[in-house]
Amino acid sequence: MSVADIAKSIIKSINAGDTLATVGLPASNFHEGTVKLATVLLGKKLGGIYITTSRPSSHIIAELEEAKANLSDLYFVDLVSMTVGGNTEDARTLFIESPTMLESILLNISLLERRLKSKRRFVLFDSINGLSIYSEPKVLKEFINVLGNSMRIKAIYTMLMTVEEQTDGDLAAALELLSDTMIGT
Amino acid sequence: MAKKDVTKPISLDPRGGRPREKCVTHIEGIDRILNGGIPVGNIVLLAGTVGSGKTTLAMEFLINGAKNGETCCYISVTEPSSKMLSNLQTYGFFDDSLVKEGKLNIFDLTVINDRLGVERMDGTYTAKDMEALLGAFEDIVDELGVTRLVVDSITAVCYQLPDRGSIRNFIFRLSQFLSTFGCTTMLISETVVDSNVQTYSIFGVEEAVADGVFLMGNIVRQGDLLRSLQVVKMRGAKHSRARHLIELTPVGLAVIPLLKWGQDGGQAFT
Repeated sequence: MSVADIAKSIIKSINAGDTLATVGLPASNFHEGTVKLATVLLGKKLGGIYITTSRPSSHIIAELEEAKANLSDLYFVDLVSMTVGGNTEDARTLFIESPTMLESILLNISLLERRLKSKRRFVLFDSINGLSIYSEPKVLKEFINVLGNSMRIKAIYTMLMTVEEQTDGDLAAALELLSDTMIGT
Repeated sequence: MAKKDVTKPISLDPRGGRPREKCVTHIEGIDRILNGGIPVGNIVLLAGTVGSGKTTLAMEFLINGAKNGETCCYISVTEPSSKMLSNLQTYGFFDDSLVKEGKLNIFDLTVINDRLGVERMDGTYTAKDMEALLGAFEDIVDELGVTRLVVDSITAVCYQLPDRGSIRNFIFRLSQFLSTFGCTTMLISETVVDSNVQTYSIFGVEEAVADGVFLMGNIVRQGDLLRSLQVVKMRGAKHSRARHLIELTPVGLAVIPLLKWGQDGGQAFT
């Protein structure tokens, strides 16, 4: 499935009233594809929160700017920069000290959600696999469950990005059980 | 004309009855845990280990009250009030004008002691000193019309009392008049962890007399320290007993349930 087709499926899913989608992309174009998806959603006048567990937010912002995405209603939760000693000064980003602090992700989403101006909102979680490096499978599954259900309550369209090659059967089953739709997997 | 819906919502509170008036903390998550806030006039023991966020929580409790027009008071026992004031400036939710307008009052216990002439060389209060101190606390609450009070820390006061009976008596008498004045109070209790078990107080008396106990601590997860909070008891209120995570955010403290699997399995409570 091409990134363009995945983007179409996401728009269709949003219009169908879904709130939770698992989106799979191959490792070969994962980062590029994820940035493209964010660009498409921002172009459709959605505001959003981008959670990054795999790359510093400054890199993603640079890529989105290069893609001429409208960043006026996009905020970031960054679990990478503080861990690696990167830049932690950005008005649109909340930085989390360590990727083990999973509850902080939920807290920071709540804080940023208040800043979103758009009526139609999304959360892009990049990526579930990035968290699995630091958390045991049972902790990760519990977190996904809590995250998914809290986003349902908030009625924010949430995309759980997964790297196809890194998602084992157990994790995939947990994601399928939780999600309204599986795209590109 | 449409029929009026007379279906009563199912009460989830097994206690039934009429709820007590609540002192709303306005701290993100805490009022949810307490089903609306702390019952007015309750004395709450804020028990926690070093660095667990006790003073920050207590300060936000006072500042939020002051911002809503209440008169609040902080009695500093362990550090000079000038130092406390300069620490307060670092909180984004602090507002200088609250102190200037007399909504947030900060007192040094050492200054109160000096004025009462109760400072002892051996550091122990006599029964007369104890009476004088209780009288001074009562005067502050009564004359200023204090509705929120914090004593930081009650442990330091207890060290100056001669025995456990005196501690029980002191806290009991304190709670009696504070309750009469409708003053909701937080007493900060410094605790330690022994063999992975955290106590509520050093002397083992304070928690029995207090109306409520907040247990605060640090959880170790993969080497990282996470601040936690658990409401152990709260007289007059139905409340959650689940363990929660506390985080200091730009808008103040925020509290959220801890992941269940994320707190066990080699993750010690320190």
